[in-house]
Amino acid sequence: MSAPDQILVDDQTLKFCPGETILDATRRAGCSLPTLCHDPRLEPVGACRSCLVEVKGQRRLMPACKTPASPGMQIETRNERVLRHQRVLLSLYLSDHVGDPSECEDGAPCELHALAKDLGNLPVLVPLQRKHKPRADRNPFIEFRSERCIACARCVRYCDEVEGVNAITLTGRGLHTTISTASGISLYDSTCELCGGCVDVCPTGAMAEKMPLSAGAAPERELEKVRTTCNYCGVGCQMDLNVDRAAAAGRGQVVKVTSPPAGTAPSDGNLCVKGRFAYDFIDHPDRLSTPLLRGADGNLHPASWEAALERTAAGLQEVAKKHGADALAFVSSARCTMEENYLVQKLSRAVFGTNNVHQCAAT
Amino acid sequence: MAGLVTTFGAGAMTNSIHEIREADFLFVIGSNTSEAHPIIAMEMKRAVRRGAKLVVADPRSIWMTTIADRHLPLKPGTDVWLLNAMAQVIIAEGLSDENFIAQSTEGYEALAERVANYTPEEAEKITGVAAADIRATARAYATTRKAGIYYTLGITEHTHGTDNVYALSNLVLLTGHLGSRSTGLNPLRGQNNVQGANDAGASPIFFPDYQSVGDPEIQAKYEAAWGCSLSSEPGLNLNQMMKVAGSKIRAFFIMGEDIVMSEPNVAVLEEGLNAMDFVVIQDIFLTETARFADVVLPAACFAEKDGTFTNSERRVQLVRKAVEPPGEARADWRILIDIARASGADWDYQSPADIYAELVHEAPNFAGISHERIDSEGIGLQWPCPTSDHPGTKFLHEGGVLRGKGLFQAVDYKPSVEIADSDYPLVLSTGRTLYHYNAATQTTRSAGLPEKQPEAFVELHRKDAGQRGISDGDLVEVLSRRGSLRCRAQVSRQVRRGCIWMPFHFADSRANLLTVDQGDAVTGTAEYKVCATEVRLLAAAAADDKTLFPGAFWGEPGGATSSAT
Ligand code: FES
Repeated sequence: MSAPDQILVDDQTLKFCPGETILDATRRAGCSLPTLCHDPRLEPVGACRSCLVEVKGQRRLMPACKTPASPGMQIETRNERVLRHQRVLLSLYLSDHVGDPSECEDGAPCELHALAKDLGNLPVLVPLQRKHKPRADRNPFIEFRSERCIACARCVRYCDEVEGVNAITLTGRGLHTTISTASGISLYDSTCELCGGCVDVCPTGAMAEKMPLSAGAAPERELEKVRTTCNYCGVGCQMDLNVDRAAAAGRGQVVKVTSPPAGTAPSDGNLCVKGRFAYDFIDHPDRLSTPLLRGADGNLHPASWEAALERTAAGLQEVAKKHGADALAFVSSARCTMEENYLVQKLSRAVFGTNNVHQCAAT
Repeated sequence: MAGLVTTFGAGAMTNSIHEIREADFLFVIGSNTSEAHPIIAMEMKRAVRRGAKLVVADPRSIWMTTIADRHLPLKPGTDVWLLNAMAQVIIAEGLSDENFIAQSTEGYEALAERVANYTPEEAEKITGVAAADIRATARAYATTRKAGIYYTLGITEHTHGTDNVYALSNLVLLTGHLGSRSTGLNPLRGQNNVQGANDAGASPIFFPDYQSVGDPEIQAKYEAAWGCSLSSEPGLNLNQMMKVAGSKIRAFFIMGEDIVMSEPNVAVLEEGLNAMDFVVIQDIFLTETARFADVVLPAACFAEKDGTFTNSERRVQLVRKAVEPPGEARADWRILIDIARASGADWDYQSPADIYAELVHEAPNFAGISHERIDSEGIGLQWPCPTSDHPGTKFLHEGGVLRGKGLFQAVDYKPSVEIADSDYPLVLSTGRTLYHYNAATQTTRSAGLPEKQPEAFVELHRKDAGQRGISDGDLVEVLSRRGSLRCRAQVSRQVRRGCIWMPFHFADSRANLLTVDQGDAVTGTAEYKVCATEVRLLAAAAADDKTLFPGAFWGEPGGATSSAT
């Protein structure tokens, strides 16, 4: 057992690639290790200590997320010592966190509570009950809830390493370390581009999305996720629409948008301000809900589908008859689907006989 | 789109988005990437963190220029000069890839001859970019293997937009920077399905998959497939349609576009729309254009229907229905079937998957893609994907240029159709901001976004502002030969002297009242990026008089003011 690209993890031989950490190699093999501060898009910092494992020959437990795999390494991820460490660590974290999972998970699921549940039967410590200054921020999307922050700095590193704007930072010292902006200004007045990546990467709901919370939306775990493609720019980010099935009189309502895991093509699990937060147009009262026909009075009036379709067909046919098919023009849309664009050009060419079909963004 | 089909044989990003982070040299031109494509910008930032060199060519100082190694602040509309000068440097200094040119291209001699006079020193006079910077950029581009070029509407929205694309293609072919990872020429599409709409044949000259309507074999194929006879006469492009609206064009069917917001020189277009015999609008909101409609059909938004979008990197991805549309609104694909049936056709599709299957049946490059396959593989497929066991294509031209041989297209600089003069001394460019999107029918209806950018503004240089007695935040009037509007002045370091910039999202200050409707000869794309204007300070009294501004729709931002009941 000293092949140049192998390590031994809990008696299982695993291959690793150059540059991989212990965590990378074990995850690739499908074994799970608890992590909190880790995100594959970020440089590992080894801050939360939840991924510690025992490496033969090392006196101290080592963070799997930060320790490079090396040939012949022998690693234990589940032995008595590692598990004891995990229990104590989780209990400590929870003693300074919203204790009741259902209260804590009012928005996104909490990774701390999920880990605690996996470990089961944690010793309950006396709650710390620190005093927290609530931090109001007048931006419309992102809420700081510092009482839930475990100072893992995932959000800060994301803001720096991925979004590249350095709008948020850790402030305070020791026990009082928490998340804020430089000199406490509103995100609105900072370099923040409101991408919401901090909300997405936060494991504990300390960075939370305002709109669903203030609207009293159901917690994320009760919502149905529908994977789809964003409708704004041409990147085509994948996103999950979080749907409350019962809302909007049974039509269902999109109450938040979350991003798929890091590594999901094409956007690596990232979203921008429009993709993540500009979804409330879907349920806007201005949405058209019935066909309209221009009446003799010059105004538009609600009409039945039957009447509207009849008028559409007759109107187009009449012009084609009088002035020829090339007097018609069909403007399709880069906002609509492939299938719909296909049908518009087929309608134009095959049904009405003209190649006058185009859309607004041909370049 | 058409430009790249001509030079390379495929009109799309040659590379994948994920490859950007591995590039060693990035040349970004005519793209305010961090605002228009924030996710692409993230990839670029990642590359720069890794040590990649970034050069940004843009008239404005944009966010990307703050992390760039070099900013080339060229005068609007002078791209061909800049790019031809880079080509000149590459040839004159012997930095071109002679093997590649000999084996994989045609038209080299004509290009070499044409660009010979485009020296960086001459270019400096026209473009305003220092000759040394042009040289350094050309050298760095030519000598870095993983070198990618990224562009967007700043390149194409000109009367010479296709020439700009040709000039970029020439750089790629000179250096052979094509056909491998992170190396190529990449148009970043502005809207979610620009690529898909073009791929699907929403074009006056192409059936799906860029098959020419003028090609008798293709025409015969589609006549057989669709069971009808088809016109071989190329249709009008959008720009041409808009100009003959109300005269040659008597009826419009318009799906999902708000043309009086998005099209240039809109005052003239509105006259045309008034003269139309018949206008049908199919949309999710009562748009500004609906004021001219005889019929308005209520459609479903992306969250309410199934289908596919194809992104800039040619990836076909699923759109999944999550909720029901409001009231009686229907998915656009259903409405289109209904219209066809009402017009006597016997269309009988059960689902978007059915429609897609028919589309790819006659489209060789997409033949291996289906809704079922994307769903079961859990990830979109990138065309070309000719067969159902083909994995899709991450970057194009790997085994040789798709066209057979890459085609050099020698182009000359043509000044923009309208240049600044003493009456209208300021050059206006228009664009998109991070917080809004196109006609803003969606974004002005999202709670937080209007708050961050509640109203239209015009950015102008400190000195231009000073000359006119304008301070930051003043209400001003912007005038061109075609119209005028008013908005707030934003005195900014971002624009060059003599240039101004406006977003085009706002219904109460429609930048397109000002713009030129002259289209590119090939694509018909209008010149949104250059028109001559003047800016005036408004007296306080005038500022309160809303009737002064005929082009403005006063009311809810982006809201409907039509006579709907
Ligand atoms: S995940 Fe390894 S230390 Fe946090």
